[in-house]
Amino acid sequence: MDSPGSMELDPALSLPDAAPVRKLGRKSLSGTFREDRFFLMLAVFIGLFSGLAVVCFRLAIDWSRIALLGPVLQPHNVRLIIAPVVASLLLTVLVIHVFPGAGGSGVNQTKSALYIFNGFIPFKTAVGKFITAALAIGAGHSLGPEDPSLQIGASLASALGRRMNLSRERLRLLAPVGAAAGLAAAFNAPISAVLFVIEEVIGRWSAGILGSVVLSAISSVVVVRWFLGSQPLFRIPPITLARPSELIAYALLGLVGGIASVIFAKGIAYLRPRLRTLPRWSHYFQPAVAGLIIGLIGYLGAPQVMGAGYEFMDQAMHDQFTWQMLAALAGLKIFATTLSFTTGTPGGMFAPTLFIGAMLGGAVGGLERHFWGAHLTGSTGTYALVGMGVLFAGFLRAPMTSVFMVLEVSGEYSIIVPVIVANTVAYVLSRSLQPVPIFDLLSRQDGLDLPSMEEQREENILRIEDAMRPIEGPVLNSTETVHEANQRIQPSLSGANTFLVRLSPAGWKSVTRELLQQSLSEGKSELSLGSILTGPPLPILHPDLPLDMALRYVNQTELVPVVSRADFGKLEGVISSDAVLSKYRQ
Amino acid sequence: VFPGIRRANLKSFLSRAPIIFILLFATAVLAFLAVSHLVTRFRQQEKALGRHLYAQGQAEHASGDPERAIADFRAALTYNRDDFQYQLSLARALRDSGRTGEAKTYLMNLWERGPEDGAVNLALGRLAAREGAVSEAIHYYHNATYGIWDADAETHRRNAEFELINFLLQQNALPEAQGELITLSASLPHDAELEMQAARMFGRAGDQERTLSEYQVILRHDRQNAAALAGAGDAAFQLHRYRTAERYLGDASKLDPRNAPLEESLDSARLILQADPFSHGLSNAERSRRIRGALDNAGKHLEACAKVQGISFQGSNQEGDAQADPLSSDLISLHKSWLDMQPKLGRPSAAAEPDTSDSVMTLVFQIEEQTQKQCGEPTAMDRALLQLAQKPQGADQ
Repeated sequence: MDSPGSMELDPALSLPDAAPVRKLGRKSLSGTFREDRFFLMLAVFIGLFSGLAVVCFRLAIDWSRIALLGPVLQPHNVRLIIAPVVASLLLTVLVIHVFPGAGGSGVNQTKSALYIFNGFIPFKTAVGKFITAALAIGAGHSLGPEDPSLQIGASLASALGRRMNLSRERLRLLAPVGAAAGLAAAFNAPISAVLFVIEEVIGRWSAGILGSVVLSAISSVVVVRWFLGSQPLFRIPPITLARPSELIAYALLGLVGGIASVIFAKGIAYLRPRLRTLPRWSHYFQPAVAGLIIGLIGYLGAPQVMGAGYEFMDQAMHDQFTWQMLAALAGLKIFATTLSFTTGTPGGMFAPTLFIGAMLGGAVGGLERHFWGAHLTGSTGTYALVGMGVLFAGFLRAPMTSVFMVLEVSGEYSIIVPVIVANTVAYVLSRSLQPVPIFDLLSRQDGLDLPSMEEQREENILRIEDAMRPIEGPVLNSTETVHEANQRIQPSLSGANTFLVRLSPAGWKSVTRELLQQSLSEGKSELSLGSILTGPPLPILHPDLPLDMALRYVNQTELVPVVSRADFGKLEGVISSDAVLSKYRQ
Repeated sequence: VFPGIRRANLKSFLSRAPIIFILLFATAVLAFLAVSHLVTRFRQQEKALGRHLYAQGQAEHASGDPERAIADFRAALTYNRDDFQYQLSLARALRDSGRTGEAKTYLMNLWERGPEDGAVNLALGRLAAREGAVSEAIHYYHNATYGIWDADAETHRRNAEFELINFLLQQNALPEAQGELITLSASLPHDAELEMQAARMFGRAGDQERTLSEYQVILRHDRQNAAALAGAGDAAFQLHRYRTAERYLGDASKLDPRNAPLEESLDSARLILQADPFSHGLSNAERSRRIRGALDNAGKHLEACAKVQGISFQGSNQEGDAQADPLSSDLISLHKSWLDMQPKLGRPSAAAEPDTSDSVMTLVFQIEEQTQKQCGEPTAMDRALLQLAQKPQGADQ
């Protein structure tokens, strides 16, 4: 991992004679290393505490489910109707009066803490989220424990950071560290958690925080595995892909998944603002009404849609439902989750997304096998597994995480090609039909302008090569005499005023027409060009560097040489402040 | 120097950092212990709940309610996901409720975890048998036979083999069943019940020779075993060894005098022995008498059958009738042959002459077979003659 100390060495300054800069860097290393070590150790503790909190959270969900819905989830049990209603009334009072920050999923709240509140998430929010989400999920609301776990982790990290009197900058960084720990513990999947936090919360690969995020995620997963076992979330059926032509079947799944993702997202986008504009007294009853409807769905024959539903995903993967039943469950889960989520019931959307994906994948797989069974070797379980990734990519719009999540929760790497194919189709389709990703949509509905990670990812970065121009006039050598140099820059040969001088053995400087004239008039015509240039060498840039990098140097000198990374003496072009500004103005 | 830390708190921060970590560590240890206690308690409760649901499911399955059992087994599995027995029981309940696809998936999962497990292979074998997949069933039953069992492996393996043989017999795969039975019988311990079972299966597989041998093995240890005596008698009867059959059936009848089918078999054997003209050691007169009696009986049966069919032998035109009804013509033709045979038996000892006796008995057997075909329900004597027709020269072995 790169240390912050090393990060202070500007990568653009590939100067052959960069000794002064390095010296400065070394001076600050001793201090920053201590702080860095402190931060890394803190990340480990954040992971430990988040892991412990998530273990307790999962126990609380299980316990409340047994207590409220009974040990066996069977239709025609009146508890399935009563429990969600009563629990919803109780948790609504708690969310409105005691834990106001506990509603919703938790992802956007964590992003808000990072970008708006300087990493501040009240500890009370973690407590509230723990209690209310456990109650909601245990009572059968169609929500999952992952996003709340993420917020609980972030909240714990924030509380620890505040206790340590960390600076605003560090506090801000602690929120994603805790979020990764919470999510990793909930999923039992550290890589996916790290990727999700980078894709959706931080939005960029930052060496300064990556180490802490990884450490906290791993330590939380170690804790969870210590207590709850190390088996993957799902038992995966055998996976086969005999013919590449079968990928068409997975692409079709991606297509269906993409459409389902859009329906799901549009349903939430439509219903959520409308429910929020209803009179305030109705907010006390909205989760209870959602609970009643979901309870009725369960009572009438589909209790699988209640709660997170991991055990039913497992069953779907093992061919234990007909494709018609799987399709029905996918549709009912979209409906139930939309109700639970839009009414502000605390709980996450990860598990429902995986549930819908698994059911939809199984249904599409079953249907395809029904018609082209002889040509398809993948089991229904394989399609269910791929379907999870498809919804993750299409609905949550985290394409990298969607691929790694499937690999990690299954522990099966042979599925990677179908997953990538199906996820890409779903992601592209979802993007074209629903341009705003769900988390951005939710934050905008909340009146927040949080940075869109998808937009950031796909932003067209301007690079040096976009603004650089060819050198005008000759490139001089430091070994030439002033007289020779003056001959080469005669106005009849070049109209430029500033010229680059290649130093021997390496490096670049610049010389102006005026300086040469002055040296000639001072009788220095036979001196070497290098001897009259006294200042430090010019900074150098490479064509692939971001254009922002040029801004640091173009004010110091009229021309900045842009050189090849393989040969610093090979000039690719030059860049000036005018060229940079004119590029930005375009 | 420490940009991440407020300047005002820098000194105190530095001095407190180790203490903070010690405190954090201590807190983590305490929290770890507390959560550990909590998880242990919760897991114990979950396991108890799982055991309760499993027991409930087993009771429901045993009482013929696999649907409710499935719900309970599934719930039990949510509390102990990897419990092998729960999964196996769920798969069995799924199979018994007709959800063979789901059962197979579950069992295949278990099989992948332990391809050598006897119980899983047996369940898969039963599933394949239910689906009529013969080669698949044989494969899994064989795996079960050679697989690993937790307890009483020998019994489980033997039962699996018996089950496979039973399945093969149901599928009418007699050579395969016989092959399996030969292997099994060679390894059977001395146990009358098991040997009886093997003997019965040999009988169902059509291997009467080994059936008889198997019963004789039992009788060597227990001459008073009525079932073995009856089985041996039946096997000997099927092998046309009527004297042997009479002996075993007679002994069995003494031990079980109220057994009507046994008595019937014994009577048949006796009747055959009394009617058999090919029996060794018969005087010419006796042989002649038996042949004469067989021919008379066949004639009577022929006439009775013709009467039932509404055929008159008086003045029938054979060629014309043959064109009208082939079955009638068969009877008429046989009647004509029967009439033609009468002068040949004019002399008292003529029937005992080899050529005559053979041609007479051939006609008798033809008449009996044809009349049985057309009129059914033969008399005891007719049945005896029909038995003799199957193996005319070997009845006296």
